[in-house]
Amino acid sequence: MGINNENKVMTAKEAVERFVNDGDELIIGNYTVGTCMELVFEICRQRKKGFTVYSQSGILDVDIMINAGCVDRLVTTYVMRSGGKKGGGALERALQAGTIEIEDYTNYNYNARLVAGMHGFSFMQVFEGIMVTDIFKKRSFLGDDKYRVITCPYTGKKVVTVPAANPDVCIVHVPRADKYGNAQYWGALGSVAAAALCSKRIIVSCEEIVEHDIIKSSPHLTIIPAFRVNAVVEVPWGAHPTEVLGYYNRDRSFYGMFIAANVTADGAKSWLDEWVFGCEDRKAYLDHYVERFGTGPLNKLRAKPLYSAPADYGAAFTSVWDNAGREQTLGLTLQEIETILKERGLLYE
Amino acid sequence: MSKGYTLNELLIITCAKEIKDYENVILGVGLPTTAGALAKALYAPHATLMMESGIIDFEPLVPLNHIADAHSCRGFSCAVDLFSAFTMTYRGFVDVCFLGVGQIDKYGNLNTTCIGDYYRPSLRLPGSGGAADFISYSKRTVLTLRGGEFVEKLDYFTSPGYLDGGDSRDRSGLFPEGSGPTMLLTTKGVFRFDDKTKELYLSQIHPGVTVEDIQKDIPWELKVAPHLKHTEAPSKDEIDFVRHLAPTESLGRALTMELSIKANLKRAKD
Repeated sequence: MGINNENKVMTAKEAVERFVNDGDELIIGNYTVGTCMELVFEICRQRKKGFTVYSQSGILDVDIMINAGCVDRLVTTYVMRSGGKKGGGALERALQAGTIEIEDYTNYNYNARLVAGMHGFSFMQVFEGIMVTDIFKKRSFLGDDKYRVITCPYTGKKVVTVPAANPDVCIVHVPRADKYGNAQYWGALGSVAAAALCSKRIIVSCEEIVEHDIIKSSPHLTIIPAFRVNAVVEVPWGAHPTEVLGYYNRDRSFYGMFIAANVTADGAKSWLDEWVFGCEDRKAYLDHYVERFGTGPLNKLRAKPLYSAPADYGAAFTSVWDNAGREQTLGLTLQEIETILKERGLLYE
Repeated sequence: MSKGYTLNELLIITCAKEIKDYENVILGVGLPTTAGALAKALYAPHATLMMESGIIDFEPLVPLNHIADAHSCRGFSCAVDLFSAFTMTYRGFVDVCFLGVGQIDKYGNLNTTCIGDYYRPSLRLPGSGGAADFISYSKRTVLTLRGGEFVEKLDYFTSPGYLDGGDSRDRSGLFPEGSGPTMLLTTKGVFRFDDKTKELYLSQIHPGVTVEDIQKDIPWELKVAPHLKHTEAPSKDEIDFVRHLAPTESLGRALTMELSIKANLKRAKD
C-alpha cells in the first residue's frame, strides 16, 4: 500500500494534484468549525471539477467551491445562506440555474451514511420519524437509494435505512499531526473522524506538524491513524477565516466580507479572483491579507493557551528487567536464564 | 418602574424560562444559547447544556458564532461525536431543544429548506441540519420565529410538529408519546399548542402588540387563549445578565452591524 509510516509531508498543491481527481466524490471532513480552507482554495485553483461534494454543514467552503464551478452534485444537511431574503449565495443561484443537483438529509441521517461507510457496513439504521417529511419523500440523484425501508428481523418493525457513503477523497483540517499522518483533533467533534475514515483517500492539512512522540503520549486525541492517510500538509492559518481551537478565533469581519460578496455572482467572482485565484498559496493569501489590513486583525485573533490536563500514560515499569538486570518475576539475569535453558536441553543447536 | 429592556432581551428571557432545573437541553445558536446561559445562571443551575456538534455540558462565556463553537467556553465536560449526540436524543435523554423557524403551519410542522419548488427554489433556506431529528425525539421543543412566516401549507415539510393535528403524531407510532413542539416564540407573542387539537393558539402577547397585529401575519383564524396573558416584564437581574453576557444580542443584528461598521471605520482612521 505504501501509506504506512513513511513521511507524507507535501504542499497543498502536490497533495491536490496527486490525490484529487475530476469527478471524484469528495467529502469536506470538517463540520462548521476549523474547515480545510486552504485545501478548498487549492482545489479551486487547480480548476478541478465534476465533484459530488459531501458536506455535513456547508459554510463558506461549499459556496466557494460552487462559485468556482467545481460542484455538480451536493449531499448535505445544511448550507449557510448569505444575504437574508436578498440572495442565498452560490447554492441558491446554482439551483435556480439548474447547474447543481442536491440531496438533502438531516444531520443524523447524513452522519449515519458516513458511520456505515467507516465501519464497512452497507447501510445504517436511522430514526423512523423521517418518513413523514419531504426529506424522505423528495429525492434527487440518489432516487430510491436515498432511503430504503426494511423490516427489522428481530422486532418485525419497519426500519428506515440510509446507504453507506465511501467517498473517493476526504479533505480535512486538524490542529496537529505528525509527518506520517496521525491526525489529532479536539473540541467539537462533529462528524470529522467518520468523514475521514469512510473515505478511500485522505488529505490532512494541519496547523502544525509535531513530533511523533507528542502523538504517542496523547493517542486519545488522534482521530485518523497514519496508515489511512495519503498526504500531510502543514498550513498555519489553514482554516482562516474559520477558527481552530488553541490557535485562532474566527475572523468575523473577513468572513462577513465573503458573505456580503456572495450575495451576487459578480461579488463572489471578484472575491474569488482576489483571495483564491489571486494568491498562489496560503502564504501569498496571508501576505495579501496583511497588505490589505495590516497585522493587527490576525494578531487579535490568536488564541491564549488553555491546556488540557495531561492524561497520565505512565506505568510502573516499561521493561521486564529491573535495574540490576534481573527479570522481575524470576529474579534471574538473561545469562542465568540461558544457562538454565542449556542445562535442561531445551535449546536446538 | 422596572428597568428598561429591548425586545431581544424580552425574547431571550422568555425563552430561558422554558428550561427547568435538572433538564438536558439542546441549544441552537443565537437567542437559545444566550437563553441557556441565563437559565443556568438564574433558574436551572443543574441543567446540562449541549449542542449537536457533541459539546456536552458547557457554559457560554461569550455569544456563540455557531453550534460547534468551543471557543466560546473554557472547555466543557464531555466531547461526543455528532452521531452520538443524536442517538442520545433518540434514546430519550434530551428534555428540551430549541429550533428556529422558516415556515410554520397551524400544527407546528416546519420548513427550513426552501421557498417555492424544492428543485428550483425561489429561496434556498439552510436545510434541516439537526432540526428534523431533534423535534422528532426531544421530549419538548421550543420554536423561535423571527424572519419566518405562518403558512397554510408548507412549501417543503422539513420537520414534524403535530402532523395533521389531534392525535396524529402519537398515532403514527414514529415518535415518543407526548413529544412535539410546546411553545412558539415570535417577536409579537407566545403561542402554545392545544392539548386536544394540537392547533397553535396565542397564549401571551408582548408589550405594545395587539391580537389584530398578530392575526395579520396568520392566514387562518387564530385561536386565542381565554385568559390571554401579557408577557411578563423581565427582572433587573435577568436584563443585567443578558446585557453583560451578550450585549450584541441585546442590540439585535441590525444595530450591531451598524455600530460595528462605525467602529471599524473609526479604527481605520486612528
